[in-house]
Amino acid sequence: MNLLAVSISHHTAPVELREAIYLNNDEIKAAIDGLKKSLFNEGLVLSTCNRTEIYGIPKDTNTSYLELQKFLISLKPVDGIASEHFNNYFSCGAVRHLFKVISGIDSLLIGDNQIYHQVKDSFQFAEDLQFTGFLMKRVFDSAIKTGKRAITETEISEGAVTVSYAAVQLIEKIFSNLSKKSALVIGTGETGEIAAKHLRDKGIGKLSLTNRTIQRAEKLAAALNAKIIPFDNFKNNLAEFDIVLSATSSPDFILSFNDINTAMKKRNFSPTILMDIAVPRDIDPKVKEIDYVFYHDIDSMNIIVEQNLAKRKMEIPKVEKIVMEELTAFFSWYNSLQIAPTIKNLREYFEQIRAEEVSKNINRFSDEDKEKLEIVTKRIINKILHTPTIELKKITESGINTEESAIKISIIRDLFRIDNSTDEGE
Amino acid sequence: MKPLIAVVNILLPILYVIAFIIYSYDFMKGGKKFSNSKRLFLFFAVIFHFFYLLIRTIEFNHPPITNVFEIFTVLAFAVSFSYFILELATDIRGTGPFIIVISILFQFISTIFIEDLVEVREVLRSNLLGSHVLTALLGYAGFTISAVYGILYLILFKEIKLNKFGLVFNRLPSLEILEKLSFYAAVIGFAALTIAMTIGTIWLPTAFPDFSLADPKLISSFVVWILYGIGIASKVFANWQGKKVITLSIIGFIIAIFSTMLTNFLAQSFHSFY
Repeated sequence: MNLLAVSISHHTAPVELREAIYLNNDEIKAAIDGLKKSLFNEGLVLSTCNRTEIYGIPKDTNTSYLELQKFLISLKPVDGIASEHFNNYFSCGAVRHLFKVISGIDSLLIGDNQIYHQVKDSFQFAEDLQFTGFLMKRVFDSAIKTGKRAITETEISEGAVTVSYAAVQLIEKIFSNLSKKSALVIGTGETGEIAAKHLRDKGIGKLSLTNRTIQRAEKLAAALNAKIIPFDNFKNNLAEFDIVLSATSSPDFILSFNDINTAMKKRNFSPTILMDIAVPRDIDPKVKEIDYVFYHDIDSMNIIVEQNLAKRKMEIPKVEKIVMEELTAFFSWYNSLQIAPTIKNLREYFEQIRAEEVSKNINRFSDEDKEKLEIVTKRIINKILHTPTIELKKITESGINTEESAIKISIIRDLFRIDNSTDEGE
Repeated sequence: MKPLIAVVNILLPILYVIAFIIYSYDFMKGGKKFSNSKRLFLFFAVIFHFFYLLIRTIEFNHPPITNVFEIFTVLAFAVSFSYFILELATDIRGTGPFIIVISILFQFISTIFIEDLVEVREVLRSNLLGSHVLTALLGYAGFTISAVYGILYLILFKEIKLNKFGLVFNRLPSLEILEKLSFYAAVIGFAALTIAMTIGTIWLPTAFPDFSLADPKLISSFVVWILYGIGIASKVFANWQGKKVITLSIIGFIIAIFSTMLTNFLAQSFHSFY
């Protein structure tokens, strides 16, 4: 298969280069237009914060990955980018790489299933721009199947692998029903924002936010349907919350032992979770000595993250097995599109029908006619198959296995129900 | 029917051990591979056990409450049956091994030592006494399950406090759920014990001429009943929660076990039947 691919990812390039080469939707559109004009008949452009990749079936068999690299660099000139920042794939290797990417085992965060949706969206985008043809659609279907199987048949995406999600996982180990709980998020920076979103996604009953700069909190509060508490007096309301999640950039503690102790007394020592995911810490760790206070800092979260990552890594062999199975299935289909086996299968198919019919009716003929019957029926089959055989051979002589030939062969195999599996050994 | 009873008697601990293995496998692996089949197997074991108790009652013409080892098999049944009902009601399927192991213990001892008594005191043939003992045992089974969940709660509580995120953390349900399970089991136990005590209070004085309110078993059951009553009321009305209620449940269980053992093996009264 003449599939060509180049990739810049966390395996090959530092974050600055990956960020610089990242293509937004307008840039991907421009890339596809350019690729269609100069290099590919059909293909795919994938760009996320961790990887930018181009796949395609070249118009000319002599097209090399170097031209594809040059194309990307000319489209998005980035200082310092060079050939060594690319991984290059061809044919089976390119399909295998795509299958590994969509199943999450090539991700920086192993098992990250966001990539599954990103690849799906990229295919959709390529399809909208008429950049996907017969072969790429089949590659896409197989890739989606691989990704789905990885998620459902293995535990590659199980467990929290980010600090903020680990915090939510820990909260769920203490409280069973978050819809009856109230939470306060202190600090609405990136970490606080993600944690607040996770809490909202998990159906937290009441969500409140507080931040030194109220404007930032207001924006997030509107998006998450949360209440805002002024930073100056949030300590007075502390007793209302079952969960307090702190993620500010304050250099000192903002919640002392006494603050929490007073709040706990007001709460009649109803269980309270304090999640301190700030560095340096926001809450005095001595609060863990107070009964019914579950205090956890970023180190606790990291223990959970490390454990889950280790579990995910153990799932990689299972996912690789799925990738290999789907790769075999894909190439079994693809190889069936070759000319010679198709002609052979087609002739076998007709010969089988002829032989069956002859054997059913052979007794109606006299002994001297039986031999003639064999000769005549074989001649009919040969004549019927003569023109299609010549036409199929012409495709071979014309050069490569083009998309057009693949479609023709696929139609023949479908019409006569010639099974792909018959060619697996070839 | 005796050979059948003998075979079922041997099969019962084996069935519980198999159920325990399936539940433990799912617990260790954290998978849901046997999520439905393990429940079905436990259901089969419980039904089989019920059948065993039934044929014993028919064959020997008295409910299986005439000696300690008959009581043990009823207790094993009551624990598994109560757990099964609790699992059905809450759909929390991960804590089975901790409960089933209790049934295995009681049933194993019973299987080894149980005797086929045909000649028993006339009073032990009474079905009212049968219901009294059966509900009392169901009550104690509820308290046992409540205590097991209470202990699991305390273990998980400690693990979370100490940042230990091992097997217990990963496999057990949340603290709130363990607390609920412990509470529901205590409520079931309390309700069953209430019925047992009501039957006892009405029927015992008429059946036993030497009936006395100062009977140690009667007093200890009453103390246990009051303790669980206070625990349940404090949770419902005074909003007690967490470790306080759990600790009360565990203390109640310890008192229940010790008092039962002491009154059964040491004290002599009208309330001792064997």
